[in-house]
This record gives sequence, C-alpha cells and structure tokens, in this order.
Amino acid sequence: MSDYLPFIVFGLVSGSVYGLSAMGLVLTYKTSGILNFGQGGVTAIAAFLYYDLTRNSVPVPIAIILVVLVFGTLSGLVLEVVARLLARTSTANRVVGTVGLLLFCQSILVVRYGGAALPFPGFLPQGGFTVSGTLIRADQVITAAIALAAAVGIFLFFRWTRLGTEMRAVVDDPDLLDMTGRSPVKVRRTAWIIGSVFASASGLLIAPTSNLDSVLLTLLVVQAFGAAAIGRFTSLPLAYAGGLVLGLLTSLAPKWAPQTTLFQGLPLAIPFLLLVVVLLVTSKSKLKEIGRSVLSAAPATSRLTLNQMLGTGIVSVVALALVPVLVGAKLIIWSQGLTYVILFLSLSLLVRLSGQVSLCHIAFQAVGAAVMTHLGDVPWLAAVLIAGLAAVPLGILVALPAVRLAGLFLAVTTLGLGILMQYLGYATNPLFGTQLGRAASRPGAFGLDGDKGYYYVLLAFVVGTAVLVLSVERSRMGRLLRGLADSPTALVTMGAGINGLRVLVFCLSAFVASVSGALLAPLFGVIDATRFGWLNSLVVLTVLVIAGRGIIVAPFIAAALIQVVPGYVYNQTFQLYLPVFFGLGALLMAVAPGISGSALVPKRPRRRAGDRAPHALPPRAHHPKLVEVP
Amino acid sequence: MLVLDKLSAGYGSTQVLREVTMAVPAGSVVALLGANGAGKTTLLRTVSGLIKPMSGRVTLDGEDITGRAPHQLVARGLCHVPEGRGVFPALTVADNLLVQSPDGQTAEATELAIEAFPRLGQRLTQVAGTMSGGEQQMLALARAYVQSPSLVLLDEVSMGLAPKIVDEIFEFLERLALRGASLLLVEQYVTRALAVCDYVYLLNKGSVAFAGEPAELDAEEVFASYTGA
Repeated sequence: MSDYLPFIVFGLVSGSVYGLSAMGLVLTYKTSGILNFGQGGVTAIAAFLYYDLTRNSVPVPIAIILVVLVFGTLSGLVLEVVARLLARTSTANRVVGTVGLLLFCQSILVVRYGGAALPFPGFLPQGGFTVSGTLIRADQVITAAIALAAAVGIFLFFRWTRLGTEMRAVVDDPDLLDMTGRSPVKVRRTAWIIGSVFASASGLLIAPTSNLDSVLLTLLVVQAFGAAAIGRFTSLPLAYAGGLVLGLLTSLAPKWAPQTTLFQGLPLAIPFLLLVVVLLVTSKSKLKEIGRSVLSAAPATSRLTLNQMLGTGIVSVVALALVPVLVGAKLIIWSQGLTYVILFLSLSLLVRLSGQVSLCHIAFQAVGAAVMTHLGDVPWLAAVLIAGLAAVPLGILVALPAVRLAGLFLAVTTLGLGILMQYLGYATNPLFGTQLGRAASRPGAFGLDGDKGYYYVLLAFVVGTAVLVLSVERSRMGRLLRGLADSPTALVTMGAGINGLRVLVFCLSAFVASVSGALLAPLFGVIDATRFGWLNSLVVLTVLVIAGRGIIVAPFIAAALIQVVPGYVYNQTFQLYLPVFFGLGALLMAVAPGISGSALVPKRPRRRAGDRAPHALPPRAHHPKLVEVP
Repeated sequence: MLVLDKLSAGYGSTQVLREVTMAVPAGSVVALLGANGAGKTTLLRTVSGLIKPMSGRVTLDGEDITGRAPHQLVARGLCHVPEGRGVFPALTVADNLLVQSPDGQTAEATELAIEAFPRLGQRLTQVAGTMSGGEQQMLALARAYVQSPSLVLLDEVSMGLAPKIVDEIFEFLERLALRGASLLLVEQYVTRALAVCDYVYLLNKGSVAFAGEPAELDAEEVFASYTGA
C-alpha cells in the first residue's frame, strides 16, 4: 500500500485541479452551449500573469487576488460576449472560434515569454506531515481543499441560491427565463465569470507541477475534457469526481505500464482514452449537444462554369509549373507549400463540405510521413498509397464514436487523438520510433528524384487531389453532404444513413492528409516527429478558415500563408506573431457572423405535428367543406 | 393599453407579420384568431420582445417598447405565457415559483400560486417536467397571477388538455380579467374564446383580416380565414 500512496496522493492533488478546471468548463458549456476550447488559454495566461506580478515584487496575496478574481472576472466578461456571438453560428464555427482563442492565448505567451518553460514560483507553504512513510505537503492539502471547497460551494450555490436556480433555469429554457423577467445574458455572464475564475485558479494550482510551459498549461483544457466527459459534459459534481479519477489514472498508469521510454507520454494520453470510452458507452440520448442548433448555410457549388474552372485551373497549374524556373534555391519552400495544399484540400473537404471539424489533421499527416519512411522497398506510388491508407483506421477510431453523437464531440476527440499521437503514438515503431530521424525515398525513375523533378510530382498530386475534391463535391456524396448541411432531418427521412456518410468523408479526408505526409517526408534528408505537434493541427484549421470559403481556392491561399510567406520573410518577430494572427483572425471570423447577423438563421419555434406552412392548403374551391364552422 | 402600429416581423428573411395594426385596451380581453401559420404566435413573440420586429412600433400605455428585451417588459407589467408548456422542466415546482417570483418575495408568490391553483401546493417538491400537462400549464399560468401583470399574452394555453382542465383554466382567465389585467388570447377553442372576449382580431397570412366585437364576426369569415382562402 505504501508503494502506491505517493502516487495516490499526487493523483488526487492533480486530479483536484483537473476537477476544478472541468467544473469551470462544464458550467460555462451548460449555461451557454459553447464548449470553450480556449479555457486552456485562460489557464495559461493566469499562471504567467502571476509569474510576472510576483517578479515585479507584487505581494503574493495581492497577486493571487489580481490573477484569480480580477483577471478571472475580466476574462469571464470577454468570454461571455464571445460566447453570445458564437451561439448564433454553427457548431463547426463555434469550435473554430474557441480554438482560435486557444491558439491566440498560447502563441501570445510564446511571443512574450519565449517557448521554453520557466520555473514557477511556488506560493503555498511547503511543510508537511508523513503518513505511513509518505510525505504529504501542505501545498498539496491546500490545493485539494480549494478544489473540494469549490465543488461543494458550487453545488450549494446551485441548490440554495436564487442565482443558482436561475442558472439551472437558463440551461432549461433561456427564452422562458427572459419572459419570466430575468436577463439570460446576466445569468450567463455570472456563469462565465465563475468558470473563468475556476480556470485561472486551476492555472495557479497546476503550475507548480507543470512549470510555466504555455503548451502544457494549455493542455489542462484537455484534462478538463476528459474529466467533464465522465459527467457527460453536464454534471458538475461528476466532473469534479471525473477529475479525481483522471488524476489517479494519470498518476498510477506509469506505474502499471511497462517501464519503457515509449510509455512516458501515457499520462497525457489518458484523457483521450477516457473520452473515447465515455463516448462509446454513452447512449445518444444522454449526450446531446447543448445550445441552439444553427445550421451553417449549405456550401454553394462553384459559380464558375466548367470551362471557366478548367481555364482557371490550367492557368494556375502553368503558373505553378514555372515556379522551379523562377525561385532558385527557394524551391524547397514551394515544394512544402504544395504538400500543404494537399493537406488543406483534405481539411477543406471535411470542414467546408461536411461541416465537421478535425483538430488532428497534422497527426494524420505525420502517420503518412512516418509510414512512408518504412516503405523504401515498395514501388514508390504503391508506398504513397499504403502510407495514405495507414491513417484510415485512425480516422475510423476517432470518427466512429463521435459522429454518432454530435459534431462537437468529434472535435473534442480529434483534439485528444492529436495529443495522444504526439505523446504516445509518434514514438512507436510503426511510426517514427525512437530514432532521431528517418529517411523516405522519392520516385526513382525519369529523374523525378531531383528537387525540380519531385516538385512536378507534387504538382501532379495537387492537381489530382483538387480533381478528387471537386468530383466528390459534384458526386452523389457531395449532394448528400450539402443536404446534410441543409437539413439532416430531411436526409434521414429520405432514408440516407448520415452517420456512415460522415465517417466516410472523415476517412477520405484522413487518407488525403496522410498522403500529403507521405509526399512531405521525402522532401528532406530525414524527417522526425517534431514538426507534427498537436498545436499545428489547430494552426492549420485556423489558417484554412482565414483563407476563405472556397473549397479549392482556400487551400492554395492557406498553404501560401503558412508555408510560402514565412519562407520569404526572415523577420523573427513576424514568424513568432504568425500564430497570434492566425488565432485572432479565426476567432474574429468566427464571431463575425454573430455580429452582422448575416449568417444568422434563427430557428422557428418548434411546430406541432399538423402545423402547416401558410400556403400549404389548396385554394378553397378545390377543398370541399369538411367541418362545421362554429 | 397595448398598441401595435404597422408591425412587421418574421424569421431570417421570411416575413410572417405584415403591417399589423391592433390595440388591446386596458382591462379588456382580446381574442386573436387565425389559421395555423397565420402569425399569431409570431405576433405574441414580437410583442414580448423575443423577436425583433422588421418595422413598425409597439407601445404599452403610450411608451414605445419596440425592440426591448423580454425581461425588461416583465418589469413594465407584461406577462407572456408561451405556446407549449411554459415551465422549466428540470426544476422543481418550488424552484419554478422561485424564478417566477420578484426578488425576496418567494414565500408570498408561492402562497399566491397555491391560492390560484391549490393542486400546486401538493406538488412543490416535484420536478415540473414529470407533472401532467394540465398541472404544468397551471404552473406556467401561475406566473400571470404571481407577477400581477397589467397585460397577459396567452398562447394556446388550453392546447392538448382534458376538457375538465380547460374549464378550470378558463375560469382562471376570467378571474385574471376580473383582477384588472388585460388579456390577449390566442385560442384554438374559437367558441370559448369568443364567449369571453370583448374584441376579436382575425389574422390571415400575417395581416389583420377582421377587427371588431365578437358579435360582428361572420362565421363564414372565420372559416375562410382558417382554410386559407
């Protein structure tokens, strides 16, 4: 028992923080319908803010008040406005908005403090006592006590106060609350403030163990997802309990798992595993997306005629074909750009055509790249194809449990998968293994293995992928997907299986993303896992959103933004600020329709069976008198 | 007195109400009739602030209330009992009454509600969504009593209820009118509505097709409106 005690203590303490963070997440999600991916950003900024304040010799108690209460309240006020605007848009757009927020917060911290972790000044007393040989420190007790107090406090608040009751009422029916005489906005604002105060406090409490690492602090939101999943994203007490369970699992797992370097990343992967299990076993009726459902406008088919499209395409391809002649030593940048066009095309297919969001496309790309390095002996084209197919099982794994429920949970699980892959998957032998770098081969024949030759190979793949996406858009599947965006109910009543459709398009997208990785790998002498970090998946999504709505055009613009432009601007500051712009840009573009109301299509109040549209009845002359008029 | 002046409203780009002009004099009962889809619910939702009108004005006792939020109008003495069941289904009856009541007057409000509908007294700890439809409607209507509004908008409050409960509800509405509140009544029981109202408006495809006293209303006209001719 005493073997396990230190791990249990550690697990309960970190689990308390996860629980605190998860309660903030669930509270805001329940009341506003917006699942805030950006909460990790709030957490991270709070910890860094405390660091800055204390370094500038602000006394510790005042710094704590400033961070937890003042910063927490202010960010709650801002988030309420963001959430109110996002609530009027589609699920995919809501995810993009808060993911943009997360990226913005994280990258602004990198700009300000650099990417390396900083030591966090502890602020709780360190002394402690011993229980059967295990030292339990005072700061651990205080941390657990704070989280417990918050859990009990919020429970009592909901039970016994008027505002708490109103908060439950706003979950039930915001319009009715408004009609009853309470502003739902005010009630939600309180919820966002409480949620942000919890998020800020959890930042201060987790930082002593994680140090000031903006990525690790941001990751706390994923732990919160895992914990919240146990409470089905709606129960606050269960979210707290889920935090404790997650903490224990995270702490004990390394003890049970084989003692190899491979499993070092296991703790960070556990939230995802927990999430997948919960999503698999929870029935659909128990895990619905909260919030008004707003359908995104169906993606319009291109307004260009076939000839115009063909013309534009040929001109573009000719222009791109001239690039090797013009750019000299910069060719590698353009080649990378082409592989990213393929990646963005796959994401565009998913986001624009099917309205689903993936937060792990870089992981699919990594799978393609890694598998490609193992296939030196296979004919080159076959190798690319196999590398592409390698990501499909992963796509199924992540899409199957989630699409059954709702688009929102797909986004959550993909984020989890991206993290699992980075901390656990990449180091396995079928992928990059533990070597420092692996080489992939280029096609051998016709001099295509030269840099110029390979550029043209990539160009051919870009053209092929664009044609594939266009033909999917124009195929029966494309029409079904547009129908899915327009009215899922209508599609179901027609007899189309929409879940199969969603999984299919997700897997197709994963396949294409993986092919882009397989093509990327041979560009370099060796390739390793470092360029496939989970945050990059968030970056590519935001960039695609910024690049516009065109299914084919936006991927080219996005690839230019993320690969070609930075390759020409040597300014270090510019490079650092890029993700800041991407995050902020995506956030602004996501809230914009909420401001202008242009994409705002409020749903009509629910109609009763038997209700008819105003003009549905035939003219009276054709309608014999059936009823007696009173 | 509630006055609608050339009020147009709808959802997105779909216009439902077309320049509706009508009045609910203080202390009167006004029935609003019309076929499904005529715009009755939209009219009530626009008056109570849930839908922002496209054009036109709404005034309450001379004050322009166009575009105000619903909770602000509650403070001005307006009470809207919506279509369906106007209760918070996951909250207990007591919690529902707490939300309905003005600050710090929960005990009084609960007493009033039980006075209006004694049956609610036995149900205080029950979760509202598990009660029968009639009991839920009583809880929803209790708000029109507890908040002492000057104007009550009632959207098909008798829908889907047993005839006996409907009687009870109409008795309650009469009591409400006797207390001095004006009622704007959307009803599917046309005869019952005509029996209690002072004035009647007939909506057809979003426009007022008839306005006047119930006795003037031609049965043929009602039928024409209901069949969409």
